[in-house]
Amino acid sequence: MMKRKVANLGLSLIGPVVLIILLTMPIGPLAGGLGILQPVGGIFDVGKGVTHPDTERVYVPGVQSETRIIVDEWGIPHIYGQTIEDAFFGLGYMHARDRLFQMVMQNYLAAGRISEVIGGMGYAIESDKFQRSIGLARAAEATYRWYVDNAATNPDVNYSLRAINAHVAGVNAFINSMTSENTPIEFKILGFTPEPWTPVDTFIWAKMMTWGLSGGVRDLYREMIRAKIQNSTMYSEMFPDYWPYTVPIIPEQYNLSLSEYDDAPGGYPASVVPPAVPAAAEAQTDLIPQEKLDRILSVLSSVIDFFGPMEVVGSNSWAVNGSMTSTGEAILANDPHLSLQAPSLWYEAHIVVPGVLNVQGGTLPGTPGVLIGHTANISWGMTNVGADVLDIFVEQVEPANHPGQYFYNGEWRDFEIVDEPIHVKGGATIDFNVSWSVHGPCIDSVVPTFSLDEYSTPNLSMNWTGLSVTHEILSLGILNRANNLTDYFDAMYWWDSPPHNFIYADTEGNIAITVAGRFPIRSGYSGYFPVQATNDSVGMVSNIPYAFNPRSVNPSQCYLQSANQKSIDPSTYGFTILGAQDPGYRGRRINELLDAVTTVTAEDMMRFHADVLDVSAREILPYVLAAWSAVGSNASVQIMVDELVGWDYRMEVDVAAPTIWTVLMDELRDVIFDEATDLGVSAGSIGLPVVEWMLKENITHYFDDQSTPGVESRDDILVVALEHTLATLTADFGPSVDDWIYGDRHTIYIGHLAGLTYIGGGAHRGGRYTLNVGWSWEVRGGPSRRMVVDYGTSPDYYVTYPGGQSQNMFSPHWDDLFDLWYAFDTVTEHYGYYLEYNFTTAALFEGADDGTMIEYALVLLPRS
Amino acid sequence: MKRIDDTVPAFSAILVLALEVVLAVVLQLSGLWVTMILVGALGALFVRRHRTAFITGFLGVLIGWAILYAYAILTAQGLAVADFFIGLLGLSGLGWVVIVIGCIIGGLLGATGALLGRSLIELIDDLIGGEAESQSKDSSSMQDT
Repeated sequence: MMKRKVANLGLSLIGPVVLIILLTMPIGPLAGGLGILQPVGGIFDVGKGVTHPDTERVYVPGVQSETRIIVDEWGIPHIYGQTIEDAFFGLGYMHARDRLFQMVMQNYLAAGRISEVIGGMGYAIESDKFQRSIGLARAAEATYRWYVDNAATNPDVNYSLRAINAHVAGVNAFINSMTSENTPIEFKILGFTPEPWTPVDTFIWAKMMTWGLSGGVRDLYREMIRAKIQNSTMYSEMFPDYWPYTVPIIPEQYNLSLSEYDDAPGGYPASVVPPAVPAAAEAQTDLIPQEKLDRILSVLSSVIDFFGPMEVVGSNSWAVNGSMTSTGEAILANDPHLSLQAPSLWYEAHIVVPGVLNVQGGTLPGTPGVLIGHTANISWGMTNVGADVLDIFVEQVEPANHPGQYFYNGEWRDFEIVDEPIHVKGGATIDFNVSWSVHGPCIDSVVPTFSLDEYSTPNLSMNWTGLSVTHEILSLGILNRANNLTDYFDAMYWWDSPPHNFIYADTEGNIAITVAGRFPIRSGYSGYFPVQATNDSVGMVSNIPYAFNPRSVNPSQCYLQSANQKSIDPSTYGFTILGAQDPGYRGRRINELLDAVTTVTAEDMMRFHADVLDVSAREILPYVLAAWSAVGSNASVQIMVDELVGWDYRMEVDVAAPTIWTVLMDELRDVIFDEATDLGVSAGSIGLPVVEWMLKENITHYFDDQSTPGVESRDDILVVALEHTLATLTADFGPSVDDWIYGDRHTIYIGHLAGLTYIGGGAHRGGRYTLNVGWSWEVRGGPSRRMVVDYGTSPDYYVTYPGGQSQNMFSPHWDDLFDLWYAFDTVTEHYGYYLEYNFTTAALFEGADDGTMIEYALVLLPRS
Repeated sequence: MKRIDDTVPAFSAILVLALEVVLAVVLQLSGLWVTMILVGALGALFVRRHRTAFITGFLGVLIGWAILYAYAILTAQGLAVADFFIGLLGLSGLGWVVIVIGCIIGGLLGATGALLGRSLIELIDDLIGGEAESQSKDSSSMQDT
């Protein structure tokens, strides 16, 4: 009898044990187990986390006095602190409350620790190895140490460090008080608990932004193409350093006083007279075996590219002074183009400390400051410069005779070997180390050991300005308190990385733009291709003085604009800003829009933001249509051509012509540049302005199809491009014009950071080269934030971005701003914006509230 | 020492079910699903058969969780959350399936907890009964002596 009872107990234990295992074991990406399905304490609590009482009081350690945070109808916090510490504590708290999962993901990704969060799936381990190889976390630590070391002697550094520490304390206050209701659902699904935030984390993300905007391995791509083409004339024609027809950013250079700013941005050494540099064509060849080059580029292409490919990392900005506006006051507009993600890279905030700070605009979750926005008297926007500030050095090695060493300044030196063990969630730790030379980390450490002995030692070291101590947070600290041009110049002095064009307007009617950043002066090499430098006479030996950075202030044309194109006409500038930068079609369009008007309004600026006229189509298509008229005869192609005839070059969603043009752009390059494709170089890597130049100048050599015995003319090859376009359209989309309607093919898709959901899905206006940019068929990058600042009778700030303030997909603030961003009004011909609330005190804000402006107030109170 | 079944009264299945529903709701508010095993085990105190314990444990927690899911659906977008979750598996629009699965999971926790509880009670009672019997034998033999 007793035995039966024992057996019963044993059998009845099986059920609970099996259930406990089933409910806690990871199932694919559901690392949190099925237990999260419980009705309370699991994923169902996140729906409760979106509601708030009218006034929510939170007692937290770290805040010094009552800090009132008014959350407006768009979920935007207006933080009213008594001190800098309290204000940034509030910002840190709100960043974590609304975007903690994003902050953690971003930093784990940047620090090469994403495998700790998501395990070893797919790209994670390769990404971690690459991030460790480029050393962002190490550079972040060095940068943080610089702030600590200089805080006692520099009041601005002291201010920034106080802000950083308070922001970190705010983030941790939230992490420590997290409940099931406000824990991000992603953490529950992944079964992940965030670690405490640290000041170094602040810099890690700043470094990641810097990498995304100024990093990359362009030297290696150029080397690969050059090695394949092996014709310097052809190379320079296909890949010019100055795109034809470019309108550079700086119309009239404005230098600052060298006696006032005698060094380079960030306090780095500067040279007024740069040394002569060898021409790119003279660069040493065959430094890297083609097999090794191909393997490295193949590995790098599989690594997570957080900001999207460089071609989508662009932006527009422009400002007009009072002589071009009906109010007589300046107007500024900006829309940075970045990878679109959910939640957005941006988080809007308004931070006020009486008498010290009143700044509002776009912040980056995890960063203590407003990156783009305005103070009471000035506003600024940003566009990426896209200059080449990273060089690859091929260290001279002899693994057989000098293992672990490289030759430099007449001696064999040891590589510094940095252990970078990679911990994989649910898996074994992977041993990994990175070799560092005097030039920087060897990025080929990420590539598995090669089968051939002579390649087995990593020796491609990276010298990148972004890996130095950088001062972008210090710069923001000054800019966020700036009230005039002088303050702006002081702030720009510290902006060393990543290089950005900072457009400026103020209440006094001034407009300005600074191509801000540290631009290296090279010695002994061009900087275009990998170089072997066995001594310190070859390398980045100095920098362009800040006083001479490309800059323009109140130019005679009365407006300024930038769209990532060439910073300044090289023939008028004594220094080299390396790299071709953007092809320039958006810059040309902004220029012609502003040139064509005598007065503009804020609403015109919104219309310009929404502009979808493709200048490349307008310049190139007439040649194609003329060629068809001259020599074309195919009836099927004629149907397609009929769609293009009379098209107004606007990339609108309800017609087929933009689809045809998008395909034709690629086909044109394919048929014209058979010289390149025959050698294994993608024609798509050749810029469209080169096509435009060849058509306009009738460069006959390239029009000839090398594979035929005859000699094709420009018209012949353009007709072939049309025929290929029809074939591609038919194969990809179908034979009918109805299959080619642009809006059916060109759609917006904003994916969740962990791929759990998405925003959008609808038709999207714009194309690759329009102001309202939309690269690729499924648009995943573009205007990440739109802002128009109108210094009319009262400053009005109009903003939107594609997403929402909340990371919680069940909150109305998950995508409410996307709805504004996406809603194109055919009457006004622009998208929606919200008008910022800009009250200087909480009492004023609450007094003005008509019941719709304020959603709730969060009061942070000290907890002893 | 008295056996547990002699100490704790047996209730009707309906009453035990009601008790377990209340217990499931209250204990689940702690956010710990493992407490549902305890709910079943506690319910098993008031019935005498494994089958009854299993059924009341299963239905008690199932109904308790169903009530909590219903509350989440009415007040906290519970169905939207469920839709989102099942969407991760490529089954959009079937959020109710997640709720049903959740209820069944809860029910199984209660049911297996009840079986475990009932078995444990019976084993303990046997031990106590055996002990009492041997104590009774011991006292008889002492009287004989």
